[in-house]
Amino acid sequence: MSGSTLVLSEVRVRPGRRTVLQIDRLEIPAGAFVGIIGPNGAGKTTLLKVCAGLIRPRSGSVVTEGLDLTRVSAWRKCELRRHIGYIPQVAEYNADLPFTLREVVAMGRASIRPLLRALTPEDFEIVDHWIEALGLGRRRGQTFRSLSGGEQQKALIARAMAQDPRVLMLDEACANLDFHWKHEISDLVEQLYRQTQMTVLMVSHEVGVLPPACTRAILIAAGRVLADGVVGQVLSPEVLQRAYHADLTTVTLGERTHIIRAQQDTGAGGRF
Amino acid sequence: MDPFFHLILVAGALAGASCGLLGVYLVGLRLPFVGIFISHTAMAGTVYALLLGLNPVWGPAVVSAGAAMSLAALRPERARLDPNVALAILFSLMLGLTFLGLGLGQGSRTEILGLLWGSLLFVQTKSVIVIGVVLAVLVVFALAFSKELKVLLFSRTIAAATGVHETFVYALFLGLCGVILAVNLPLVGGLMIFSLITNPAAAAYQVCRGHRAVVVTSTGFGIASAVGGFLASYYLNLPTGACIVLASTLVFAAAAAHRALAGTAD
Repeated sequence: MSGSTLVLSEVRVRPGRRTVLQIDRLEIPAGAFVGIIGPNGAGKTTLLKVCAGLIRPRSGSVVTEGLDLTRVSAWRKCELRRHIGYIPQVAEYNADLPFTLREVVAMGRASIRPLLRALTPEDFEIVDHWIEALGLGRRRGQTFRSLSGGEQQKALIARAMAQDPRVLMLDEACANLDFHWKHEISDLVEQLYRQTQMTVLMVSHEVGVLPPACTRAILIAAGRVLADGVVGQVLSPEVLQRAYHADLTTVTLGERTHIIRAQQDTGAGGRF
Repeated sequence: MDPFFHLILVAGALAGASCGLLGVYLVGLRLPFVGIFISHTAMAGTVYALLLGLNPVWGPAVVSAGAAMSLAALRPERARLDPNVALAILFSLMLGLTFLGLGLGQGSRTEILGLLWGSLLFVQTKSVIVIGVVLAVLVVFALAFSKELKVLLFSRTIAAATGVHETFVYALFLGLCGVILAVNLPLVGGLMIFSLITNPAAAAYQVCRGHRAVVVTSTGFGIASAVGGFLASYYLNLPTGACIVLASTLVFAAAAAHRALAGTAD
């Protein structure tokens, strides 16, 4: 998982009778920026969690660094995950607790230090570096719960960066944010990607928030990969019809691709 | 005050501190119901320990620690049931087993029913020492695994995805939780323990900023609830258990009022 190609083969996720994810083969090379897009309930988050080893598929393999994540021990899996920066959806973290922003960012160092060892002054230097780098210096002592949605996302990214991640996984990091913050977070992820060349997997139901550095998009619908390739090229009206069951097309504004309803001018709403 | 009551005050303070500190994690994990589930598991353990002639302290402690640790298998990202609903179902199982055991038992039920309300007034030095030792273990655990516990409180998904040994620490915490509740149960009672776990911690989360402040304040609120409740019952000649429960509720009300009037500490 750390700086090596991630390969999914014959992966099937079936929590009950229904198959929610079916991937025959998927390779994510180290240093790639991949957008995982698709309609609600398509299996995007499931795919991300399979990649992080959080969901064990019913069958198939998820191989990184020569190890199959579906078969390694829990202890070894923890070691492999140490350099994954994971940013979950809002429902999966407890934003109501009065942790300070600095405490939240310091959580990024928790897996770097072994069990029974406290964080060191060096850890806190790294924590403070990322708080400053992401422009959150003035909020350092404030509680996480008092921050705006956009600032909370920045704090979570700072937490992930404090881990010195080789893979950054973001699950709907721009959802529920206003226009300004959507692009602020998207630009920030791009900037960090260009600085570090880490692998980035970015799940979004909104194609427009994928930054220009995201050169590859994987479109998922009903648990299957419908398209995989260059963002502006693979999203043909036929593919979009199969995914969203609507007449859609793409339009490029600046360096970003958006999905819009067919026969609609770009100035109107309805962008995905 | 008669010196006999000093031991009760110490016992109450230790039980209040244990529950206050434990509450930080149980309330923070949004699982205050774990407290009532584990305490009823301990009750079921006690009933069957007495039926089978086993040690009535360590038998239930082992049973409730085991039951509590098994909760670590409930993964938030895999569960289809809300953890609190799953706990409610397990709770009803434990309650059924407890009353079945009561029905099967032939002797006096006073000892068993005492587990519901506790018997702080009949505390013995040996029990106080055991509760003190278990509290010390909890403090050491909270300090030793502080960084992992913080991530667990914030998000089990983040903890798991980023390589924190969350299942190990969570299972260890739940096991310890089982032992602490089983040990405190004869003193505090299954019904009162729920209040002492929930109210002081919920009050601390209202008024504090930062995790350390929450830990210290909640422990202090737990002690204040138990000692304040006991003193109120002593001087006003009222039932002890009820006074402690009401004192803990008063602490929460005061914290919520403080937050409403003085604003948040955020």
